[in-house]
Amino acid sequence: MIRVSQLVKSHGPARILDGVDLEVQTGEVTALVGPSGGGKSTLLRCINGLETFDAGTVTAFGHTLTGNDGRPHANATLVKLRLAVGMVFQQFHLFPHLTALQNVMSGPLYALGTNRERAEQDARRLLERVGLGNKFDARPSQLSGGQQQRVAIARTLAVKPSAILFDEPTSALDPAMANEVLSVMRDLAAEGQTMIVVTHDMDFAKQARMVHRMEAGKITRSGPPSDVLG
Amino acid sequence: MPTLRGGAPKLNTLFRELWCRTATLVAVLLCFPDVGFGQEPKPLRWGTDPTGGAPFVYQDAGGNYTGFEWDFAAYLAKKLGRTGTMVAGDWSNLPQLLDKDTIDVVLNGYELREDLCSSYAPTRPYYIYRLTLLSRKDNDAVRGWADLYNPRPDKERKTIGVLGGTVAQEYLEKVYGDKIDLRSNQDVANVIKLVADSRLDGTVQDSPAATYFLREFPELRRAGDAIRPGFYVLYYRKSDPQLGEQLDRAISDGIRDGSLKAIADKYNLWSKDQERLSYWLNQPWPTFEKDDDVEPTDADKATDENPLPRLLKELVYAALVTVKLALLSFPLAMVIGLVVAIGRVYGPRWLGIPLGIYVEVVRGTPLLLQLFIIFYLLPQLLNSSGVGLLMGIAAGLTPLVAGILGLAINYSAYEAENYRAGLLAIPKGQMEAALALGMTRTTALRRIVVPQALRLVIPPVTNDFIALFKDTSACSIILVVELTRKYNELFNFNRTLIVELAFLTAGLYLLMSYPLALLAGRLERKLAAPSHGGRP
Repeated sequence: MIRVSQLVKSHGPARILDGVDLEVQTGEVTALVGPSGGGKSTLLRCINGLETFDAGTVTAFGHTLTGNDGRPHANATLVKLRLAVGMVFQQFHLFPHLTALQNVMSGPLYALGTNRERAEQDARRLLERVGLGNKFDARPSQLSGGQQQRVAIARTLAVKPSAILFDEPTSALDPAMANEVLSVMRDLAAEGQTMIVVTHDMDFAKQARMVHRMEAGKITRSGPPSDVLG
Repeated sequence: MPTLRGGAPKLNTLFRELWCRTATLVAVLLCFPDVGFGQEPKPLRWGTDPTGGAPFVYQDAGGNYTGFEWDFAAYLAKKLGRTGTMVAGDWSNLPQLLDKDTIDVVLNGYELREDLCSSYAPTRPYYIYRLTLLSRKDNDAVRGWADLYNPRPDKERKTIGVLGGTVAQEYLEKVYGDKIDLRSNQDVANVIKLVADSRLDGTVQDSPAATYFLREFPELRRAGDAIRPGFYVLYYRKSDPQLGEQLDRAISDGIRDGSLKAIADKYNLWSKDQERLSYWLNQPWPTFEKDDDVEPTDADKATDENPLPRLLKELVYAALVTVKLALLSFPLAMVIGLVVAIGRVYGPRWLGIPLGIYVEVVRGTPLLLQLFIIFYLLPQLLNSSGVGLLMGIAAGLTPLVAGILGLAINYSAYEAENYRAGLLAIPKGQMEAALALGMTRTTALRRIVVPQALRLVIPPVTNDFIALFKDTSACSIILVVELTRKYNELFNFNRTLIVELAFLTAGLYLLMSYPLALLAGRLERKLAAPSHGGRP
């Protein structure tokens, strides 16, 4: 379970997050929607510890980050939290010097310390699962945007996180490629993967268990898709 | 109004006056170099190397030039009715200055040498020197010439310093060959200091330098007898026989009327040998005695028709030293540079300041100076600390080690900037993605960010490696005989082969650096991220 309470983050005089409360149950898909600049991405990045914050707490699967006037969090907590909460980025951020397979293996090898044989086995299975069984040795630069994002999802799945944060995963993709990615995400949701998804894709948001609408650093509406999206 | 050629201008226009003044000036300038007609005779330009040049030509405590040859040059100039002008040059290159007409005579303890006499004309001798072996009074391992054949107590060969390109060096190479570890340098004062500091076992110097430095360094002594007398002469252009006659007359006058003795006495350089100078005034000149007392080594016997194979072999051995210097120093430079760059980009804020200062200081000061500090000053500093460990480090600072260290430190500053550029070019998202996978910052740097940065900077790093290859030649000031130094020494005794030697040396450098460039190119193609634009 992920719980955010009274999260405040300022940038100079601007309050980017202004007392955000959010609760995500295990096994649920939560969608964050709203206009650009409303603080959705920042909220995700705070949950993953990529951003510091001024006040409030983030608790995810037993690991708690506490805001302390923007001071950095303890490294040990961050590492544990991130192993529990993975993240998929809008710009994929695949490692260009590694092949697709090596990208997927990087988490298990360098964060979990899994042995290489096991990591490779898992990576092959995960790439096949996202429909890239024929691209093991391709470099990121040789893959389309949709393929890259699917590798990125496989890479995140490889460390077996309890939840995955998706930061506008299809915004950089054309509709056809976006559909490849969304279908993978639907499969994950169907398997009971806990997910928080920042998205502008209303079709996907409609399938979420809960939708939160964010504007100007605040959650303005929360509820099932039918309530929030109308 | 100054006028030229009688016809004073009646039309006193401004233009004409200007023309006249200009013409006068030109006429004066044209007349000036012509000694026959000018009022002022041409100055006597004498070439010398005042670097560590005591007692020949050096600067006293007040910064004024003085010395045996300084006074001797003044004497000669006065005798010739000309003003003396000292032209400072690199000792071993002084004869070339004659060819370039930069100087009129070479006057700097130049020995009468057969090879030099083939290209330049020698005067009669003005001094008879002997080779003198100097060592520390407490160094029981070097008490005489015969001791040089035996290794040190620690089984290493004895290290003997010598002025590069001198007869002394040639003699030591001939007689002792591989039995001693001969360290040549351009600066006598430095070599003497190293012996005094027990960093060299001994040094062989001409008697004037030996006499002077024995007074300066009471801890040194003359080991064994001074041997192999030889002549100091001046060299002048063969096309300048008139000057030669004048110089010979001045020298013989000076020997006969005692003025030469007076000059030598002033510096305590007069010895019994000098009484033979007048004998040589009447002998056929130049004369070259056969070295009866010198047992030629095998290497010497091979000096037959074509010396090039032997010279090439020597150059190749020196090139191996260059390779050693480069291959050992550059990886070290890369490691230091990388650590500094990571510290500056990803380290804590307070660390950035000292690291930034390190980079600026190291790349803002000359490599030669850094080598000098590491080899000559650092050991003194370490020894004066009195701490055993530091003194041990000082003892380990052999020329090669100091050279590797100096090059590594110097290039680390450049590599640090290369790597910093590489690190800054890696998008922030790479680090974030790695962190989001649960990697620690260190792991993320090691596995994700640094490997990409390293690939990115292969071209500039290769560039620096090739530059370092050539910069290894700076190590000659700390007694490392690498390729450039070897070339300098060889052409000193093989002046007829200067062009061949230059091409061989350049060829060897190219042979070393080109494969590197090829290798780097392959590495780059293999590792480069294909997403970048342009042809790799």
